[in-house]
Amino acid sequence: MELKLFAASAAFYTAATALGFAYLFSKDERWSLWMLRLLGAGVLLHLASFGLRLKLFWEIPENRFFFPINSFFGALSFLALAVSVTFFLVEGRHRLGILGAFVLPWACLASWGALWRAQAMQGTEIHGLVPALQSYWINIHPMVLMASYAVFGNAFGVGLALLVQERQVKSRKPGELCYRLPAIEELDNLNYKLIVTGFPILTVGIIMGGIWAYGAWGRFWGWDPKETWALITALVYAAYLHMRFIAGWRGRKAVYMSMFGFACVVFTFIGVNFLSELHGYLSNG
Amino acid sequence: MKSLRLFRSVRFNIGLFFAIAVASAIGTLLPQAPETPEKVDVFMRAYPFWGRLFGALGLFHLYQSWWYLGMLVLMAFDIVVCKLWKTPPDPGLVSMPPELAPEADMEGEFDKAAASLRLKPMHASFLIEEPPAQVVGRLRAFMEKEGYRIQEALREEKSARWSLVGTRHRLQRWGSYVAHVALVVILLGGLIKQLYGFVEMVPVLEGRSRNMQNKPDWELFVDKFTVQYYEGTATPKRFASDLRVEKNGEELGRKTIIVNDPLDIGGVRFYQASWGAGGMFRSVTLRLGRQELQLPQRTALPIPGTKIHAVAEMMLPNFTVGADGRADSASLDLKNPAVKLVFKVGGVPTRPLWLLQRSPEVAFAEGDDGVLSHIPPPPFKLAEIDPILFSGIQVAYDPGFKVVLGGAVAWLVGMILLFYLHRRRFWFLVGPAQGDGRAQVLIGAWSSRGSQEFQKEFNAFVGRLQLELGGGAPGLSPAP
Repeated sequence: MELKLFAASAAFYTAATALGFAYLFSKDERWSLWMLRLLGAGVLLHLASFGLRLKLFWEIPENRFFFPINSFFGALSFLALAVSVTFFLVEGRHRLGILGAFVLPWACLASWGALWRAQAMQGTEIHGLVPALQSYWINIHPMVLMASYAVFGNAFGVGLALLVQERQVKSRKPGELCYRLPAIEELDNLNYKLIVTGFPILTVGIIMGGIWAYGAWGRFWGWDPKETWALITALVYAAYLHMRFIAGWRGRKAVYMSMFGFACVVFTFIGVNFLSELHGYLSNG
Repeated sequence: MKSLRLFRSVRFNIGLFFAIAVASAIGTLLPQAPETPEKVDVFMRAYPFWGRLFGALGLFHLYQSWWYLGMLVLMAFDIVVCKLWKTPPDPGLVSMPPELAPEADMEGEFDKAAASLRLKPMHASFLIEEPPAQVVGRLRAFMEKEGYRIQEALREEKSARWSLVGTRHRLQRWGSYVAHVALVVILLGGLIKQLYGFVEMVPVLEGRSRNMQNKPDWELFVDKFTVQYYEGTATPKRFASDLRVEKNGEELGRKTIIVNDPLDIGGVRFYQASWGAGGMFRSVTLRLGRQELQLPQRTALPIPGTKIHAVAEMMLPNFTVGADGRADSASLDLKNPAVKLVFKVGGVPTRPLWLLQRSPEVAFAEGDDGVLSHIPPPPFKLAEIDPILFSGIQVAYDPGFKVVLGGAVAWLVGMILLFYLHRRRFWFLVGPAQGDGRAQVLIGAWSSRGSQEFQKEFNAFVGRLQLELGGGAPGLSPAP
């Protein structure tokens, strides 16, 4: 049932994304409105599925009151939820409509990834937590970091929209899209605002991990690949902030930097599984 | 300081960020000796040339190498040079836009101030049907109600001209400063750990003790070690040691430690880190037909009804045949336990046999040179092994942790101040409008979030202010 609800929410996310693309090429405001509605429905189904997951997960006494985020499925599912909710908030506030096509694919990718994983593992990976993860920090540290990933995912989408818009503006025959996308300056500003929201969350999440590591192994920092890549990600975004604040970079150059930061986020989340045993979802750690 | 210009340049520091990022990334792709020495060995054997080269560059101890640490120190130095050289450069309450310095000529001051406010990206002006002195009083009251701290910058009673400055969330200007100090503090905490702290792994067999290396007179006793698994899996549910620490026979502390819950003795912390099996066991049980024979380690016991004695020599927890053809253990986990048995017939030992507990169909005989050869499975089985496990206790002393924690809290505060507080600054010039008794109000504004985002708020603010003061339609600055 958990998986069925989850699959339904993934279907809604996919439909919302499709509407987002449809809106990109049509003038009909209804597409945008329905995109948001379908997304909302997807989030509700996802929450229901998550609730069921919690119930099943907590049937194992050692897991009680910890969040089921110790598996690849759990992490991807949570990430899809975080991206969708963040986008819902951003879109609800700014009502740009057009951003769905740029941001929602990430929610789709994460939820399809989770479905693929559930298929491969023949289930939604509800296991008992290993002793290292039986700590209240599991409810905080990964959640905080994934929230920052979701915010950066949104920033990436906005950056992409900026690049598209810039091409449109520079081209001799700007298409329909040019008039539908927000102004470059507005996109640049939104991209920046999202990164300034995500950066403190990311760094504080990393520090929380250090405090947990000190409680579990007696060291704040251990150069585990996941830690190191999170640090690299933070450095790249710090470089972006310095470029904007001090060197006054705007527009395309700044967006490239922020996109590079998001590439680091993706690698930290997915790629590092092949390097780290400590933080690997694949090693079931 | 001219000589420090390089270290203060944005380009240089962004370059430094990238150098640290790239070096850190390399460290995650190459095996690191402090964490996985065995993988470094494998790499060295596979690529001798590159191995030697990388070794010489310190790439296998990358995060401890002088050049990597040097970059971190340089970063701390640059932060000090860039950020902390001067205390916050902006006192927060700037009486006038910074390009103006007060001078003796007051009339000229006001004119210059007015001209400069009109150049601000956000400015507005309007007329009020009241004398300037009254307008100033109500303006003050309004600003205070809106949560602004307001100060008088200039006053000229004779011609009734005032200049006021109002600020809100002034703390925001400390954000960047606090965050950068926090980074230096965190790095200092790490340095303190490197200089005065230690980490060591002390494997202690259950029921025995072992002395520490860093504190040689401290003795760790593991009185009991338990491990539980989730049913039907090899995933551990809980593992715990009844740990006792003594110094020259005097007890310093005791506790049942589990992962995430260490024992703390004056800042030295004892963590339950791992467990494993060495080669020790209490007994192994051999099944010979219907009979069972329990053999303690290295103790010859007769097989009932025969003249043969059996000895269980040693155990390997994760049996494998090594590259040299000899028996080896791939790890210290009890994944594939095997026991070496020797039989003695009339006191003469036979060739040693290796039996695998989980694969009874496989057996090896060991030659004089230690090389193994397959043999058909013997008519007896390894029914049970009762291993003596060791508990891996990680002992860590980190006097820098509290410093790091302080830095972490400061970082959090700095981030909140810098990014989540919105500092706004308003400058007002109030004076008589030319030719009549009305007051003219000129407003300029600045926001820490930039004019684009602030424009809407500014327009709404001016609207409210005007309503409060009762004036005509304002001349607003055009949208940027």
